[in-house]
Amino acid sequence: MASVVGTFTVDPRSRAAARRRRRGEGATGWVFVSPSVLLILGLSVVPVLWSLLLSFQVNDLVSPSEWVGLANYKALLKDPSFGSAVSHTVVYAALYVPLSVVAGLAIAIALDRKIALIGLYRTLVFVPFVVSAAAQGVLFSFVLDPEFGAANSVLHKLGLPAQGFFSDPGQALYLLVAISLWSGTGFCVIVYLAGLQGVSSDLVEAARIDGANRWGVLRHVTLPALTPVTIFLLLFQTINALQVFDLVFVTTKGGPLGSTTVIVYFIWEKAFKTFTAGYSAAAAYTLAVALLVIGVALQVYRRRVAR
Amino acid sequence: MSQHAPNLSRRDVLRAAAALAAVGTAGTVGACGKNDDDQGVGADGVVTLDLWHGQVDLGKAAIDALITAFNQSHPKIKVVGGGGGVTADSMLQKVTAGLAAGSYPDIAYIFGSDLASLTKSPKVADLTGQLKIDDYWPAAKDAVSVKGKVRAAPALLDSLCVVYNKKLFAAAGVPAPKPGWTWDDFVAASKQLTNPAKGVFGTGWPGVGDEDTVWRLWPMIWDLGGDVVSGDGKKAGFDTVGARALETLDRLRIDKSLYVDPKPGSEQLYQVFLGGRMGMVATGPWQLPELNDNGIEYGVVPLPSYSGKPVTISGPDTWTIFDNGKAKVKAATEFVTWLADPAQDIQWDVKGGSLPITKATAELPQWKKHSAETNGLDVFVTALDTAKVRPTISAYPKISQHVGEAISAVLLGKQSPAEALKKAVDQCNQVLAVPN
Repeated sequence: MASVVGTFTVDPRSRAAARRRRRGEGATGWVFVSPSVLLILGLSVVPVLWSLLLSFQVNDLVSPSEWVGLANYKALLKDPSFGSAVSHTVVYAALYVPLSVVAGLAIAIALDRKIALIGLYRTLVFVPFVVSAAAQGVLFSFVLDPEFGAANSVLHKLGLPAQGFFSDPGQALYLLVAISLWSGTGFCVIVYLAGLQGVSSDLVEAARIDGANRWGVLRHVTLPALTPVTIFLLLFQTINALQVFDLVFVTTKGGPLGSTTVIVYFIWEKAFKTFTAGYSAAAAYTLAVALLVIGVALQVYRRRVAR
Repeated sequence: MSQHAPNLSRRDVLRAAAALAAVGTAGTVGACGKNDDDQGVGADGVVTLDLWHGQVDLGKAAIDALITAFNQSHPKIKVVGGGGGVTADSMLQKVTAGLAAGSYPDIAYIFGSDLASLTKSPKVADLTGQLKIDDYWPAAKDAVSVKGKVRAAPALLDSLCVVYNKKLFAAAGVPAPKPGWTWDDFVAASKQLTNPAKGVFGTGWPGVGDEDTVWRLWPMIWDLGGDVVSGDGKKAGFDTVGARALETLDRLRIDKSLYVDPKPGSEQLYQVFLGGRMGMVATGPWQLPELNDNGIEYGVVPLPSYSGKPVTISGPDTWTIFDNGKAKVKAATEFVTWLADPAQDIQWDVKGGSLPITKATAELPQWKKHSAETNGLDVFVTALDTAKVRPTISAYPKISQHVGEAISAVLLGKQSPAEALKKAVDQCNQVLAVPN
C-alpha cells in the first residue's frame, strides 16, 4: 500500500553498461514472463472480450449467431426473472456481507487472547471455510430435509412445528445465507486475527493510561487501525456474495419456485439450459460492471480514509 | 539515445501475444470448417472415434464391453470410450461448451429432450437414410426424428410405469393395482397407504421443477386429449386439460399422501421407495436392478389413466453423431448401427437396463429369458406399445421450465392448479410465438 520512494545517485560512466544490461534483461525477462502473459491472454483476456461480443448477439453456442446490438441488455431490463434474480442476490449480499464481517470481528476479538487451547479454537472456527461449497450443500440438504432431516426431528422434540426449509420459498434464501455464514465467517476471523496483531500495543496502552475502557479502546484505537482490513473484507465478501453459485446449484437449483435464483445461477440457466448464451453473457456483463463499480467505490473510499 | 534501443515495451508484447491468440482462434475456427474426407484417419487407415457416453456403474461396464468387442471386430475403426468426464446429466452442458469452443466428440450420449436444441448446430450429423429406423420401436423412431430428419440413433429406451411395494399394500389392506386402473384409484390407494406414524407415504413426485418433475405429467395430458404443443406448434397444447392433471397432484398434496422430493436429481425419491417408506412410485425399467438388490417385494403396473385406456411416456436417450469429417461420421454411423443390432442391443439391455430398441431384440430367446427372470420387466415392454414421446422441438427446454414451475407451485401448495396452469400456458405461448 505505502510506496517506497528512494533517491539514487548513478555514476554516469555506468549508464551505458546499464542500458546494455537492461536491453538483455528486458528480452530475457519477457521470455520468462511470456508463458504467463500467454496464459492470462488466452484464459482471461480473450474469453472476456469474446463474452463481450457474445452479449451483443443472439447466440445459442451451437448455431450461427446474429448481431443484435444492445437488444439483450434492453430485454434484461424488462425481464422480471432477472429482476428477481438481482433482488435475491442483493438480499443475500446485504445479509451475508455485514453479518459475516461483524461476526468475524467479534469472534476474532474473542480469540485474540492467551488462553489454553487457543490454537484449537482458532482452527475449529476456520474449518468450515475449508469445506467446499458443494460438500456444504450436500451436508445441509441432509440436515435440513423436511421429512427425514435431523433439523426437523430436533424441532419436533422441542415441540415446534416442522419446517419446509429448502422446500419453502419463504425460507430457502435465508437458509443459504445461514449456511454461507457458517462457512464464510471463518475467513473473516482469520483475516481479523492477523489484523489485530498489527494494532500497535503502544497505542492501546496509551489509551488505557488515558483512561479509556475496553469499549473506548475498541472504538477509538482498534477499529480505526483495522479499517483497511475491514474494507478489504467488505470488498472480498461482497464479490463472493454477488458471485454465489455452487451452493445454490447443489442445494436448490434456484428453486423452490425461483426463490433462490441468484444472478450467477440465472446466467448458468440461460446459457446452458435454455440455449440463450448471448442473453446470458449480457447478464454476466451487467454483473461484472456492478462488481467493478463496487470495487472502485470502495477503493476510492479507502484512499480518502487513508488521507 | 535510449529511444533507439529496440526495447520491447509491455505494449508491444501484449500486441504480439494478442495477434498470436487471434491467429490461434482463427486457426481453430478454420479447422472446424474443414470437411476433408481423410480428416481423422490415421496413417495406418484407422479411424479413431471419441465417444462421450457419460455412463457410470452398470451402464459403463456394459458400454465398455461393447466397445472392446467392436474394436476387435472392426480393425479399421478404434472407438475410444472416454465418457467425456461427466455423467449423462451434465452431458448437454459439456457438449455445448465443446461446440462453442470447436472441440467436440464424434459421438455423445444426449437426452432425447435436448436433441432438438442441439440439432440447430450444423455440426450435428444428419443420419437420414443411414440407419434402419423402421426396425426401431415407434417411440425410439420419434425421439430421434427432428423436423422430418433422422438426427441421432436411439441409445436407451424406457417407459414410465408404476412400481409398488407389495408389503406396504398388504399392511394397509389395499388390493394390488391392476392394469386399467384410474387416477382416482391411484389417489385413493395413495391415501390409504399413507401412514404418518411410520413415516410411510403413498407416492412421491420430484419437486424441483426440472425435466424429471415435468415428463411424468405428459401421459396424463395425452390421456385427457391434450398435448405438449398444439397441432400447428404455435401454442401450448395443454391449456384446456392441464388443470385437471394438476388437480390430481393437488389432491395427493391435500391428502398429505405425496412425498415431494426437494432435491435435484430425484435420488431421494427413489431412496424413500427403496427404504420401504413409499407405496408406489412412477419410474422406468432402469430402477429394477436396484429394487432387486434391496430385496424389495415389488410389483409393476402400467400408469393409471383417466380414460381407462393405457397411455405412457417414453423418454429415449440418443447417440448423437457430430461432424468431424466424412470418414469419422461414416465410422460413427457404423458404430451406432452395430450397437442397435439385436446381437449387441441385447447385451446393452440386459446389462445396462434399457428396453430393447428393436422388436427383433425383444423376440430373442435371450431377452425372453431375461424378461422372465426380472419381475415386471414385461410390463415396461408392453407399455412401449402405447408410449408417446415428447415433441422434438427446440422450444421444449423452455416449455419444460415453465411447466415445471407450475407443477412445483401446485406440489408446494403455493398456487391453485388453475392459477399455475394459466401462468404456464401464457409463458409457453410466448415461447412458442417466436419461430424456432
